[in-house]
This record gives sequence, C-alpha cells and structure tokens, in this order.
Amino acid sequence: MMIDVKMTVNGQERTASVAPETTLLTFLRDSLVLTGSKLGCDVGDCGACTVIVNGNAVNSCLMLAVQADGKDITTIEGLSDFEHLHPLQAVFEQMSSFQCGFCAPGMIISAKHLLDKNPHPSKGEVQEALSGNLCRCTGYTKIVDAILELTSEEASAA
Amino acid sequence: MKQRGRGIACMWYPIGFTVLANPSAAVVKVNEDGTATVLTGTVETGQGSLTVLGQIAAQELGIATDDIKMVSADTDTTPMDTGAIASRTTYVTGNAILLAATNAKEILFEVAAPLLGVRPDQLEAMDRKIQVKGFPQKYLPIGEVAHQAQFVKGRPALGSASYNPPTVAMDPETGQGKPFSTYVYATQVAEVEVDDETGEVEVLRIVAAHDCGTPINPTLVEGQVEGGISMGVGLALQEEILFDDDGKQINPNLTNYIMPTSLDMPDVEVEIVKNFDPTGPFGAKGVGEPTSVPTAACIMNAIYDAVGVRVTDLPATAEKVLKLIKEKKAAEQKQISA
Repeated sequence: MMIDVKMTVNGQERTASVAPETTLLTFLRDSLVLTGSKLGCDVGDCGACTVIVNGNAVNSCLMLAVQADGKDITTIEGLSDFEHLHPLQAVFEQMSSFQCGFCAPGMIISAKHLLDKNPHPSKGEVQEALSGNLCRCTGYTKIVDAILELTSEEASAA
Repeated sequence: MKQRGRGIACMWYPIGFTVLANPSAAVVKVNEDGTATVLTGTVETGQGSLTVLGQIAAQELGIATDDIKMVSADTDTTPMDTGAIASRTTYVTGNAILLAATNAKEILFEVAAPLLGVRPDQLEAMDRKIQVKGFPQKYLPIGEVAHQAQFVKGRPALGSASYNPPTVAMDPETGQGKPFSTYVYATQVAEVEVDDETGEVEVLRIVAAHDCGTPINPTLVEGQVEGGISMGVGLALQEEILFDDDGKQINPNLTNYIMPTSLDMPDVEVEIVKNFDPTGPFGAKGVGEPTSVPTAACIMNAIYDAVGVRVTDLPATAEKVLKLIKEKKAAEQKQISA
C-alpha cells in the first residue's frame, strides 16, 4: 500500500507516494535526495537527522513521512544558497566549530530553531537546546561559543 | 549538600613510536602558476591534519596555505602512510612533507640562482617569491621559477621524501633504548561539585595546559583539547560498556551508553604552552590522544578534595560515589564510638 503525501520542503511543494513505514528522514534522503540530514542512530538519540517541522525541531528518524503530510519542513539544505551561507553556518566556519562534521547539519538546525524562538539565549539555554545533538569530536565548546558570538554580534549591531 | 573540590593531574605522552617501522612519505610538486600539490597517504577525519600539513608545506615553500592542494588517502595515487593514529600525523607525516617540500625548493633555488646571479644558498622562498636573502627586491615569482624549471631546464620542481622516527633498539643488558621520538606534556585542573546526599558529580570547569611543541594551528589545537576533555569527562563519569552473564553487551546503543552532551560539559579553558622541538616540523610535536589522558584523573582528585573519597573504578557514577561517602561516614562513626 502506498500513501500520497504533500508537504512543503524548504519552500517548495513536494508530492510523493510513500510506503506507510517510510520515516521522514528516509523520505528526505532517498526520495528527495536531500542527504544533508544524516542517519546516525535511527532511534532518536543522536540528533544528526534534526529538521524543523512547522516550527518545531524534530528527529526526522522518529517521524513518519505520512505524519509530515501537509506540514512545512526546513532541512539544512534550506538554510543557504550557492551564494550565501546562513549566518550560523558562517560563524561556525569562522570559529572552526566542527571537526568531522557528521553532527553539523542537525546541530545547525537545532541552533536555528533556538534562535528563531529565542534570539538572545543565555549560555545555559544554548546548551539545553543542543543537548539532543551528540558530538564526539568537539566537546561542544566551539559550537556553543559560536552561537553566543553570533547573538552578541547581532546585539551589538542592533 | 553540594561540596566543591579541585583536583590536578599531569601527564606525558609519547609521539612518534619507533618500536616498529613507522614511516610517512610525501610528494610535493610546485606548479607553474605558483601553487603546489602535496600527495600524502594520511587521512583527514576532521581533526584538521590536512590543514596543518598544508600549512607546513606552504611555510617551507614561502606560499600561502590556500595555494596548496592536498591530495590524500588514496593508495592508487599517494604514498602509503602508517595512519592517522598514535598522535603522529603532525610530527611524522609533517616531517615527511617538510622534507619533500625542501627537496622541491632546492630545485627552485638551483634554477633561480643563475637567473638572479647568485648561489642557490643565497636564496630564500618567501611571499610567493624566490628572492635573494637580504635583497628582497631581487626576486623571481615562484611560479615563474617553476615554469623555468619545467620548460627551460627540464627539471620539474618535484620533491619526494619519507620520514621514519629514528630507532634505538633496547639494550638487553640495561633495558635502555629509545622507544619514542619525542614526548608531550600536559596538566589539567578540574573543579567539581559533589552532592554528598546523592553522590552526583558535576564538573564545573577544567583548565588544560598542553605542550605540543609549536602549535602550527592554535585553533585546531584548542579543538583537539576541548574534544579530548569531553571524552575524558565521559570516561570519568558516564561511559561504560556493560555485559550480561553471557558476555552480551546490554547497553549497545546511545540510549543507555551514556556519553556527554552539551549539558555535561564544563567550562573549558585551554592554555597552549608554546615550546619548540628541534626534531619536529617547525618545532611541532602532536596533540591528539594526550588531551584526554589527564581528564579523568584530575576529576577523581577533585572528587577526593570535595568529599574525601577515592574512586578507583570508573566511571564515578552517583551510585558508586554515594556508596563510598556512606562507607566513609560509617567508618568515621565507628571511630567515634570506639
């Protein structure tokens, strides 16, 4: 049995016919070839697959594609174009925040979700927002620092 | 009540093992547009080694790191490398790349010398130029020299080299020898808060001072130290593979194998102790594994400072720490009543 789904992904309307057990992550990666969202643990522990669904950060490995029917999805591919990086991507690059980079798409999406809701978070709020995204390389230090750097830059520019 | 304590731990760590052959090799090619291509067998896994190795080649050739094209980790095209292991890449592979770059540079000097009317040993490579030492206005662009080398002299500016840390075998009489090429040193200090009613430990702050010889890329050194500390915090307080009676792992995924998240990380301050090792490329040694060596030890010492118990079985879970605190209190009670 296949089920028709229709959703907005990075501003574009996408329709497809999917098997009911297809996760949102598998749909994004295999059907839409949006491979920026990573398949890490596949059980919702690591956060490498984080995407934004109707304004909420979710582990796309834990959501079925059919549950996303009619919803608005933002993936890492939706943050920048070939000309410009998203300010978060730029500050992470500038501060050498990531090492192997596997956690980066999920980490950046979680950070974007935080700043969408709370443009000037405290250090504790940043750590809380990233606590569902595991990283084995960096100790999170330069990731947290970069987000605080960006928000303090914006505060001083305003 | 929450009790605070501080602990310190020091370590040394060997760089460039010599017990077995441990070679790296490299090819450096200077191109006619003034860029250079480096072939190395080593692997980039995010630690930034290709950046550091490119910086080493660029420094030796007097060009910018952006002018270097690194070709890595393909045994069809690159020399075999012992591996991105043993905190050896900056030191061993870096030395091989430095030697290869020096060989390519010597060809450039020999080609440029007659054109500039000087001896090759009077030349230096700097600012994308081959110039006369002390007379920087007398120069040729490095790309021009590479072009001359290729198309006029028929001697392309190509260098290849290998480096294997020098070996001193163990003397069977005295047991003496030289098992490693050089050593790095570090001290870390932890500040912790221990809840003496629950046994829960929180690491508030770690200050880490590391010697890695010359820090070729200080930002990447910091990244290595910060990452190593997170692994050390996990070893100290959280991470443990548990087995059932049949030897089957009972926590085989990240739901129950608990590793540090952003909320478990202390404030980390990294102090790079600048040093110069004459055997390393531009004085550099290494930094990878040493970063997590002293972390658990300084946290255990801080727990002792806070609540007076010695944890000798990692990880120091709340359960274990609370048991030790209770045992200590019981022993003290016994002493009073005796």
